Amino acid sequence: MSAGAINAIQLNEKVEQGVFLLDVRNPEDFADWKIEGKEVRSINIPYFDFLDDNENIYGQLPADEEIVVICAKGGSAKMVADLLDEKGFQASYLEQGMQEWSQFYRPVTVMEDDNLKLIQVNRLAKGCLSYMLISGGEALVVDPNRHIEEYLSLAEQEDAAIKYVLDTHLHADHISGGHELAEKTGAVYYISSSEMQGSELSYEPLEKQGMLEVGRAEAKILAVPTPGHTPGSVSVLVNDRYLLSGDTIFVGGLGRPDLGGKAAEWAQALYDTVFTTIASLPDDVLVLPAHYAEASEIRREGYVGAPLGEIRGNNEVMRTANRDRFAEKVAHAVGATPPNYEEIVEINRGAASASPEKATELEIGPNRCALHHG
Amino acid sequence: MINVDVFVDAKGLSCPMPIVKAKKAMDAMESGQVMQVESTDKGSVNDFQGWARSNSHEVLKTEEEGGVYRIFVRKG
Repeated sequence: MSAGAINAIQLNEKVEQGVFLLDVRNPEDFADWKIEGKEVRSINIPYFDFLDDNENIYGQLPADEEIVVICAKGGSAKMVADLLDEKGFQASYLEQGMQEWSQFYRPVTVMEDDNLKLIQVNRLAKGCLSYMLISGGEALVVDPNRHIEEYLSLAEQEDAAIKYVLDTHLHADHISGGHELAEKTGAVYYISSSEMQGSELSYEPLEKQGMLEVGRAEAKILAVPTPGHTPGSVSVLVNDRYLLSGDTIFVGGLGRPDLGGKAAEWAQALYDTVFTTIASLPDDVLVLPAHYAEASEIRREGYVGAPLGEIRGNNEVMRTANRDRFAEKVAHAVGATPPNYEEIVEINRGAASASPEKATELEIGPNRCALHHG
Repeated sequence: MINVDVFVDAKGLSCPMPIVKAKKAMDAMESGQVMQVESTDKGSVNDFQGWARSNSHEVLKTEEEGGVYRIFVRKG
């Protein structure tokens, strides 16, 4: 007998129902980035600890339920799962490890009425969120990641033609699929021109576009400039009700302003955004960000988001109306930068390119674009 | 120069085999002897550090040349 392999789709089902994970990567890698979920219990025992016949480590593992073994690419997890299987445990392993998990996307419908359907596409391992807005057979895709087949097949399922693709800002934590998706579908690609200075890529300047109409219905999109995270960041307000906030506002806080090396300056711009542009929006606007940091941010309905009023209530810095104190709080709470962000920014501006293998390597690790404020 | 007692060629092998192979060779070594491992699996370099730590071995040096990682480990 040997242990069975599962794929990311099967693992996602288990993660939702509750599962015990044994992660056999290095402790540093586990501490840095791991599979998370409200119902997930996980422990970390590196695979090389299983090479010695040390019976003690098996005592930490449950004997009465399935154990899914996780590693970077699948090889070590298979070895450990086979060992567990020999010892009588119910073991399986994620066939291609974290590499496969980092490419898994889960679409969730946020809302649907006669005129509009809004789908959030969650790339679980990275905490990256992108959106498809569908109306009258047309679709707008916001902040697509680089595995564009996900959006192509979703549009096909929804019987919609992708008409517009938009990046809310120049991403620093993941490689955008925006330009490629637009090219493939013949859609128009929008991004703020201040994000793309010197870029050879073709795009339409988003800042000149006050509104985009999608479909025959009254689904209108207002680009609300929200500089701060990067100078050309925008948010997209759909039907005055749904704010696709990019990396400006998250469920747990605000975007980090330091990735351009101008933390102090951009913190001022973020202040203006929060206390002018965003301040005028009502509490019941649903904020749908481009990232999340913790599984607890996934609502019972399955999507990541929160009413603006709730975010204001929970987030002290959003209520810090004193400009200097605000800037100080924001600039001092930034933490570690996303891995490889300078290289990723160059790729997203079209100034560099990466093979799929290289892209996978650059994107390894968790998302670090959100700030965590208490 | 590091005096090498045992040489392990793990080139072309992917995780977990470089460490499995190194461990087998290590079991036959005396305490204080030095192993040189050559691996083409980048991910295994960090793993050698963790493996050495949890077994009281010491990684003396790691170096890379043309995609080949050389790791020198002294048996604890």
